[in-house]
Amino acid sequence: MTAVNYLTFSTILFLLAIGGVLLNSQNLFILLMSIELMLLAVNMNFLVFSVLLDDMMGQLLALFILAVAAADSAMGLAILVTTYRTRGTMAVEYATGMKG
Amino acid sequence: MLDRAELLGLFPEILLWDTTLILLVLGMMVARTPARPAAPFVRTVAWLGLHCVLLAIVLVGVGIPITINSIHDILLTDSFTHCCDIFLLVGTAGTIMLIVDHGGRDTLRAFETIVLILLSTSGMLVLISASDLLIMFIAMELQTLCFYVLAASKRDSECSTEAGLKYFLLGAFSSGLFLFGCSMVYGSTGVTNFEELGILALTRSWGVPDPSTGIPIIGILCIVVGFLFKITAVPFHMWAPDVYEGSLTLVTAFFSIAPKIAIFANMVRVLNHCFHDHDWQSLLFFASIGSMILGTVAAMAQQKVKRFVVYSSIGHVGYLCIGFAGGTTMEGIQSLLIGLLIYLFMTVNVFGLFCAVRPVRSQYLGDLGVFGKLHPLFAITFSLTMFSYAGIPPLAGFCSKFYLFFGAIRCGADVLAGLGVVTSVISCFYYLRLVKLMYFDLPGEYMIPPRLDRDNSIVLAITVACITLMFLYTSPLFLVTHYMAMGLFAESGVGFSGSVA
Repeated sequence: MTAVNYLTFSTILFLLAIGGVLLNSQNLFILLMSIELMLLAVNMNFLVFSVLLDDMMGQLLALFILAVAAADSAMGLAILVTTYRTRGTMAVEYATGMKG
Repeated sequence: MLDRAELLGLFPEILLWDTTLILLVLGMMVARTPARPAAPFVRTVAWLGLHCVLLAIVLVGVGIPITINSIHDILLTDSFTHCCDIFLLVGTAGTIMLIVDHGGRDTLRAFETIVLILLSTSGMLVLISASDLLIMFIAMELQTLCFYVLAASKRDSECSTEAGLKYFLLGAFSSGLFLFGCSMVYGSTGVTNFEELGILALTRSWGVPDPSTGIPIIGILCIVVGFLFKITAVPFHMWAPDVYEGSLTLVTAFFSIAPKIAIFANMVRVLNHCFHDHDWQSLLFFASIGSMILGTVAAMAQQKVKRFVVYSSIGHVGYLCIGFAGGTTMEGIQSLLIGLLIYLFMTVNVFGLFCAVRPVRSQYLGDLGVFGKLHPLFAITFSLTMFSYAGIPPLAGFCSKFYLFFGAIRCGADVLAGLGVVTSVISCFYYLRLVKLMYFDLPGEYMIPPRLDRDNSIVLAITVACITLMFLYTSPLFLVTHYMAMGLFAESGVGFSGSVA
């Protein structure tokens, strides 16, 4: 039963993150945070499964995801900074320079 | 550790990594010395990188394509990956050749572009031969992380940074979904290796379905959705037009050529080895239908050059997905590979042409007017490629579409074949519109004849020759793709049963 609780928790986190990406239209930072939350939920999923199955592969994957998530957020923040410099705003709805 | 055969199989990757490092160090050292103009140096780096890629092609080519499982079964080398590697490297070499030409005079000021292209190419090489969810994820991330930087490489341009931002957000979102799928598959099976997953899936589909089957289906669907994001298939295509339009033309060329090959190869491998109980098939079916329809309808309304190319490439992804229609059958995979190779040649050609008109103002399709008079050779090449995209008979594009539809009919997906024929007839309209624009329309105001430099001309000549003369001697193409499909199915041995069912 504990395993189900852990998995439900991480799945809810994942769904919250997806909701954050899809519904948020105010700030690009919130998008970035949602993406981080998503990777965190996946990571937790892997760790729970790894303990549950008594298998090391899940922890290995979790470590790699940790590294990749760090690289991802570093790159995302860098791109956000350059965007802010050229555009002057952090709002999502203004990121529509190339319609049609 | 590694024995000799494994090491030999990894030579192309090792070469690319080493060259990337050497070029990076060299570039940094030269960039630190003042009074060196930056532009010719991009040219030098691009030239060196081109030779590295050509050397890698030779290394892959001379290697014997035997089946090797290296590094504890996480990389698998066989005839399929062997040929896909060559396709990918040829595509990369074509793109870098365009850069060698334009690096000097273009807005491309940073040599890191080439370094990133080489690094992502090595990621894609690993991705093609990946045989484990872990290595597949890492290779995919290596590739996409390089792409985010490439997309946003023009820092002072509003379009380029926006393209990078969109690519980053949606790419990270899709890899999150993909990872969630991986975690579900791992959690419900306990293995991550493709071979073992395939064996498990096989036993599960033979036995009585147990209550826990729901979880792997969610996992499989998440993984397939992640793939569909990466190949810009329709419900998940929305980032592609903006990203491709915002980035530099040379970078767009690389985006639309190389990752398609790597992702399709990996997708074929995953769907063929791991998940052959066809839970994913209806998803790809709808993606294919949607991509064909949207690619056709939306490309009709486009006024900008790059958006037009993007929508037409979305349509082509739809045609390629037909290859998955009957599950993973031999013929479907073979036609998919033929389509992929021909798409590669046509796209390299189109981007070569667009790079040639770049200094003028290659924003709008109307700017192509009267090129028929200004530069007849350019106009003829362009018309031939457009005819080939449309699928006019003696050209290569016809061949690819014909075999895709033929394969679809053979495995009973008549709806897909019929829809494919209808959409490709409709798409003739806008491909021919471009030809009409070039020959019959009155000039606009930006009438500078395109400049075709040497390397660009070589690329264009080779690709046009391939497109036009392929129908004279098609057997090598069919032999190679058949050989690749054989290599793929020799591993799993379940595709044949799939083709019966």
